[in-house]
Amino acid sequence: MAAVGEPDVDLDAHTDVWVFIEQHDGEVAAVSWELLGKGRDLADQKGEDLVALVLGEDLEESGIPDEAIDRGADRVLVADDPVFAPYRADAYGQQFRHLVEQRKPDIVLIGGTHTGRDFAGRVAVPTHAGLTADTTELEITPDQYEMRRPAFGGDALATIICPNHRPQMSTVRPGVFDEPSRGDGDGAIEQVEVVVEENDTKSEVLEREVGDVADITDAEVIVAGGMGVEGEFGPLERLAELLDAELAGTRDAVEAGWIDPARQVGQTGKTVRPKLYVAVGISGAIQHVEGMDDSETVIAINNDPNAPIFENADYGIVGDCDEVLPQLIEALERQEVAA
Amino acid sequence: MDENGTDGWNIVVCVKQVPDAADVSIDPDTGRLNRSDAEAVMNDPDYNSVEAALELREQVGGTVTALCMGPPNAEEVLAEAVAMGADDGVLMTDRAFGGSDTWPTSLALASGAAELDADVVLAGEETTDSSTGQVPPGIAAHNEWAQLTYVEELEPDPENDRLIARRDIEGGYERVAADLPVSVAMSYGENVPRTAGLHRKIYAETEFDPEEWSAEKLGIEDEVGLAVSPTQVGGMDTAEPVPREQETVDSADELADRIAEVL
Repeated sequence: MAAVGEPDVDLDAHTDVWVFIEQHDGEVAAVSWELLGKGRDLADQKGEDLVALVLGEDLEESGIPDEAIDRGADRVLVADDPVFAPYRADAYGQQFRHLVEQRKPDIVLIGGTHTGRDFAGRVAVPTHAGLTADTTELEITPDQYEMRRPAFGGDALATIICPNHRPQMSTVRPGVFDEPSRGDGDGAIEQVEVVVEENDTKSEVLEREVGDVADITDAEVIVAGGMGVEGEFGPLERLAELLDAELAGTRDAVEAGWIDPARQVGQTGKTVRPKLYVAVGISGAIQHVEGMDDSETVIAINNDPNAPIFENADYGIVGDCDEVLPQLIEALERQEVAA
Repeated sequence: MDENGTDGWNIVVCVKQVPDAADVSIDPDTGRLNRSDAEAVMNDPDYNSVEAALELREQVGGTVTALCMGPPNAEEVLAEAVAMGADDGVLMTDRAFGGSDTWPTSLALASGAAELDADVVLAGEETTDSSTGQVPPGIAAHNEWAQLTYVEELEPDPENDRLIARRDIEGGYERVAADLPVSVAMSYGENVPRTAGLHRKIYAETEFDPEEWSAEKLGIEDEVGLAVSPTQVGGMDTAEPVPREQETVDSADELADRIAEVL
């Protein structure tokens, strides 16, 4: 029995970098490939293998294991069984935990999606692993492996370390790392033993509906409204139409019932990284800015010249949105006609 | 009737006392967090889970017990939950809990929920101070219970000892039925939390006195705290602000030109 605080973990027995490849109905979540790119980098620094994990049904037909190798994995562990489709936290957690206990990875990367954040704890808790949420930076220093994550609404960056426990797990925000391109890999695919029995599962998916709700995290252009819009989203819709943009909103706009919760940007909503983010009537609280800070260009429309959003915008105009928006729409319509 | 043969469900709702996010700032000179001025409040997403707990009780009967891990003055958030309508509150307070990361924190709450013989334990999606979202799945994992996260709506199924949830998933939603006992994380802002009624408020302020539990009482004194936390904070840096042009334009026409340049 190890003394408290000194777990009986043989740190050297844990090797390799693992990346969870998240797929639903054969569609891979983009963040999984992004993590495979970062994982390659970490594995090379450590001189160890990069291992991809895929769970699901009919995976060979999907071509996903092959693609993981072509994108840099040395090995792919495949757990193929109807029990893994559709996704369930308990089934995924149990299988993943079994693999971790059996093969002892050092580093595990999981996309910070609803799926990843849902089951990561079901692996980390029983294995007493360190789990860091929502990381945005991963680095191997001469002394240790460091995971960094935004704290306090993005104003601070916390460095998280995991000195005495293994594996060192993290969920990672989508869009932070570049997706590796597909080449010709020569890794190995291994079918692993499935340890989950349908009878032992604790949950049942009754219905699954994907595609009718916009995923603003992938949008190229976003038009977002805040309290200053005062419930008038009509002009924003017109602007979004002109710019081929997705609509989004602040937490306040969602709580006021003006816009769907799935379209909320910010700390408690989604993180977006469009080419253009148009913030209309948004004051710019840090919790909101954290969610849109990765936008390439930010444009702000607000009647308060002292609103913090202007410090976080590239171009701003001070004015009431019910005056500025129609003018802007008109100007864009003229340009469209001209083009 | 639930699995214990009693009427209704034992519903436990976890609440946390946090510094008011609006008051936490970074000292520009030292780069350190300035949270001393911040008022201690109930974690905002927890209002949604308390509301969901009360609605669940209205549908299936039973009791709602608020559970909080924190310092002695955290009983204020329990009183708030009781004022909203929770039947009772338990404060898990002990120096032994100090420095706990999400692993021992979810162990402590899991032990508390099990001690209360919970059929359902609810929590907010995440806390505004650490925002990991790891505790509700952690509670489920420690107790080997089912879990439902990113929940938009709950639909009890007492005949089958199940709780059905509509969950937010990327690009859509799903409906999942989970066996009891279950750990639930409510999505932020999915319901309208009720305001405290006057009588409950007076009761919470004058008569309510939460039971206090130590780590020893739960038999977990060697499994909580900094020493058994797998993760540690190795440092805190001020985040580099994203460089922005911060240019003000005078007309909508000019703004349209800027937009055209970007697209």
